[in-house]
Amino acid sequence: MKTRDAMKVIAAHRGDAVGVCALGMASNEWWQATKSEDSFYVHGAMGFAASFALGFALSAPNVPVLLLNSDGSLCMNLGCLLAEAQQAPANLKHFVVDNGVYQTVSAVPMVNRGITDYEGLARAAGIPRACTVETVAELEAKIPEIMASPGPYFTVLRVEAEPSYLEVPPNDYEGAEIKYRFGRAMERRLGVKIFGPSGY
Amino acid sequence: MTFDAHERIHHELKRVGVKLAATLPDDWVGPLIRRIDVDPDIRHVPVAREAEAVTVATGAFFAGVKSVAVIGNTGLLTCTGELATLNLRHQIPVFCIVSMRGSYDDHRIWQEVQGRRTIALLEAYDFPYHVVDTPDECGSIPAAFEASRLQKRPYILFVTRRLLKGRIWE
Repeated sequence: MKTRDAMKVIAAHRGDAVGVCALGMASNEWWQATKSEDSFYVHGAMGFAASFALGFALSAPNVPVLLLNSDGSLCMNLGCLLAEAQQAPANLKHFVVDNGVYQTVSAVPMVNRGITDYEGLARAAGIPRACTVETVAELEAKIPEIMASPGPYFTVLRVEAEPSYLEVPPNDYEGAEIKYRFGRAMERRLGVKIFGPSGY
Repeated sequence: MTFDAHERIHHELKRVGVKLAATLPDDWVGPLIRRIDVDPDIRHVPVAREAEAVTVATGAFFAGVKSVAVIGNTGLLTCTGELATLNLRHQIPVFCIVSMRGSYDDHRIWQEVQGRRTIALLEAYDFPYHVVDTPDECGSIPAAFEASRLQKRPYILFVTRRLLKGRIWE
C-alpha cells in the first residue's frame, strides 16, 4: 500500500472530521487528497502532533478528529499512548503511517524496524480498539468500522517505503497562516471565539 | 489564616476561565496539580513528558478552550525545542506555570543549572516570562494570561519557592 492510496481512502471516509497531521509525507498527501484548511499541519515538535490532537479532541468532544501520525513521530512520543488511553476521547482516531523508515530524510531505517509491534504497544497502553492494515483492500474493508466506532481507535497503516524522498507538495501556506486558517475554520465550526476582538 | 499559594493560584486560574490543565509535577507544583485533579470544572490531563503538556494545552487553544501547562523548571528545559518549533513557528500562545527552581533559596544541587541558565535560555528564544513571588502578585495571573495570548508564543509564569513554601529564613 502506498501512503498516497491510504490517505485517499481515509479522505474518502472522512466525513466532517478535522485532521491533525504530523510533519512529513502523510501530511503532504493529506493536503493533496483533501485541500482541507480545517486540518492542522504541524510544522515541528516531531512526535507531538499526537498530543496536540488529544488536547483538541478533549476540548471539542463533538468533533471527530483524525490524527495522521507516523512511525517516526510515534516513536518520538510513545508516552502519547498513555495519555490517550487514560483520557479515552471517543472522537479521536489515531492513524500511524508505518513505512519503517524516516522517509523525508532519505529513507534512513527506523530503530528496531520490523520488530516493533505498534498495534501491540497501543493495546498494552490501554487502547483496546487497535488494528493493523497492510493493503488498500484491507483498509477499504476496515475503515467504515474505524470511523463508526468510538475512539480512541488506533490504526497502523503499513505502507511501502519509497526509494527516495517523494516530491509531494505540502500545503501552500505555512506558519501563522496555518494557525489562522485552522483557527478561523474552528471558530465557524464550533461557534466559539478563539481569537479576540483585536485578532489575537 | 495561613496563605495557601496553591489554592490561590488555582483560584486565579478559575478566574481566568481555564478549562484544561495538562500537567507533570515536580515537588513544588505537585500540590497545585492535586487541586486541579479534583476540580470537576477543569479537564486534567496528566502526561509523562513536559512536551506533551505544552502541546496538549496548545491543541485545546483551537477549540476556544483556555488551557494551561503546569510543569517543573527542569521539564521546561526539556521541551523548549517543541515550544519553539510548534508555538513560535505557528505563533500559538501557550501559558505555562513553572516552578522557578535553582533560586537562591532552593538548595537542591541538581537544580543549580536550571537556576543559572533558564532565564538566559528563555531570552534567547524570546519567550516572555513573569515571576510571581508573593501572595499579592498572584492577582497578576489573569493579566499574565492575557499577555500570553497577545504575545502569541510560549509564556512562562514562574512561581517561586518563597511563594509556594515561604521564606527560607523563617
